[in-house]
Amino acid sequence: MEALRINKLSKRFGGVNAINDVSFAVDIGERLAIIGPNGAGKTTMFNLINGQLSPTTGKIHFFGQDVTFLPPHRRAHLGQARAFQVISLLQKLTVLQNTLLTINGTKPHRFAMFRPIRKFKDLFEKAANALEGLDLWEKRNEPVSNLAYGEQRKLEISLGLSMDPKLLLLDEPSAGLTKEEGTEIIGIIKDLDPAITVVIVDHDMDMVFEVAQRILVLHYGQVIADGDPGQIQKNQKVKEIYMGTEDSFDYAGTA
Amino acid sequence: METIKHDNGQDGWISHGLPYLLGILVLLVTPLFLDTYGQGLMTRFLIFGLFAMSFNIVFGYAGLMSLGHAAFFGAGGYTVALLKLHYEVDLFWISAPLGILVATVIAALFAIIALRASGIYFLLVTFALGQMLYSLAWNVKWLNSKGMQGITGITLPDLGIAGFTLETLSFYYLVLIIFLLSCVLLYRLIISPFGLALEGIREGEPRMEAVGYNTWFLKYAAFVVSGSFAGLAGVLFAYYNFFVSPNHLGIATSFLPMVMVIMGGLGSFLGPVVGAAVFIFVENFASILSPQRWPLVLGTLFVLTIMFARDGIGVYLWRLWTKWRPDFGSAKN
Repeated sequence: MEALRINKLSKRFGGVNAINDVSFAVDIGERLAIIGPNGAGKTTMFNLINGQLSPTTGKIHFFGQDVTFLPPHRRAHLGQARAFQVISLLQKLTVLQNTLLTINGTKPHRFAMFRPIRKFKDLFEKAANALEGLDLWEKRNEPVSNLAYGEQRKLEISLGLSMDPKLLLLDEPSAGLTKEEGTEIIGIIKDLDPAITVVIVDHDMDMVFEVAQRILVLHYGQVIADGDPGQIQKNQKVKEIYMGTEDSFDYAGTA
Repeated sequence: METIKHDNGQDGWISHGLPYLLGILVLLVTPLFLDTYGQGLMTRFLIFGLFAMSFNIVFGYAGLMSLGHAAFFGAGGYTVALLKLHYEVDLFWISAPLGILVATVIAALFAIIALRASGIYFLLVTFALGQMLYSLAWNVKWLNSKGMQGITGITLPDLGIAGFTLETLSFYYLVLIIFLLSCVLLYRLIISPFGLALEGIREGEPRMEAVGYNTWFLKYAAFVVSGSFAGLAGVLFAYYNFFVSPNHLGIATSFLPMVMVIMGGLGSFLGPVVGAAVFIFVENFASILSPQRWPLVLGTLFVLTIMFARDGIGVYLWRLWTKWRPDFGSAKN
């Protein structure tokens, strides 16, 4: 069965076709990487899948349901979790507060008004488990801004997982990390429950070839290659984009 | 931001509770030794403390810059005034709930319009909506006493208890009870999942959306709840002041809770009350000392606060307390 189906999706910003007639599907449990040079439309693609943007034309189905114009919070409830490219943790709030907020976001009592959050024992237990697994329990009462960058990355990804998602969207999970930290993230992704579908955008080819079963190459908003890592490595067009002449690189915009 | 820190059992209840207990004691006892003028001043402080706290929900916690909060304050006050003027109603149990209701309904309507915008535009829209009510109050005859701007002749409310009429001191205690009850309610709101979610929105709305919160709804609810409490403050103000004018709906009054919240401590629970205390008492004594130049004193104080206690006087005092408080053998385990 398909977790995600993208059908003839286009997104125009003014005269720019950020995403141009893209179609693909992701099976349940599949690990898909989307790669491509800067400006290829990778993050736009994520924003469309997760609902931060609405497409100009085309459809998005998530587990068979049309989610094309659903807002992000509705998609979270359907089982999407996302780690952003720029860390989106709430910097001034504590590690524990961030954890509670993330876990509670898809719970029915997220709007409970006159009952102290302390009284929600199951919520605290889940948060404690998540933080102990990350060795962050000791730092639970520190603002997130006190954590090292690598710790924040790990926390953001783990918090995504604490939402019990069906689809995990990882936007450059290894950006700005050291080699060791990157390896750790790869470990986390490899250890994921095989039932979780994962879509990753990344520049780090080690990461991509390590974790992806399938790779989709975007270039100027279009899919130019789609296949397993072996096929992609051999693909002539991909080689041209990544290793070809210098002027085939595009620094015009950000992904 | 302090909401969850309390649960780690590091501080005993004495060192946490003592300042609150002392505060309540002062509020309970002081008026007994004051003349009616002083009692009135303390009533005024409590009313504006409540107004500032209600505003803090929107401004300090949810991070929404509203410049029209006097609309709800004034709506509460005008409801009380109009009931008295046109229907001779001064029964507390009718005019107060109706005042809150009117303020809440207006907040619910304004929020629909204002929340279409964000940031500075939100500020402008709330400002415009507030000024709309202000000019309505100027121009509609039904909203004014004969031959003047505003409504006079408001009295202290009738509590409906035979043989008992409120006077300055008993009215103070009525306001105090309402103030303390509101504190409890608002505090419970702040430490609830809803309250934490508001702080989440202030710190990063896109993330809150992505993890499953309908942030529009959260902001809407915060705005309406805040409007109700502002309305309650306005109701009490009308009783206290015996007079409401269009100014109580307009920008001049909208600025007050903003200044109080910033002075006392943005996004801290009782900071706004401290801000209100400083504002009301300094305003009073400065205007006695210098009837023409008292705004200068307040302005100077505001600037000094921004320079030396940027997080607010209330937060500053709390830090001093946690630093210097005596060791009560806190209940550490």
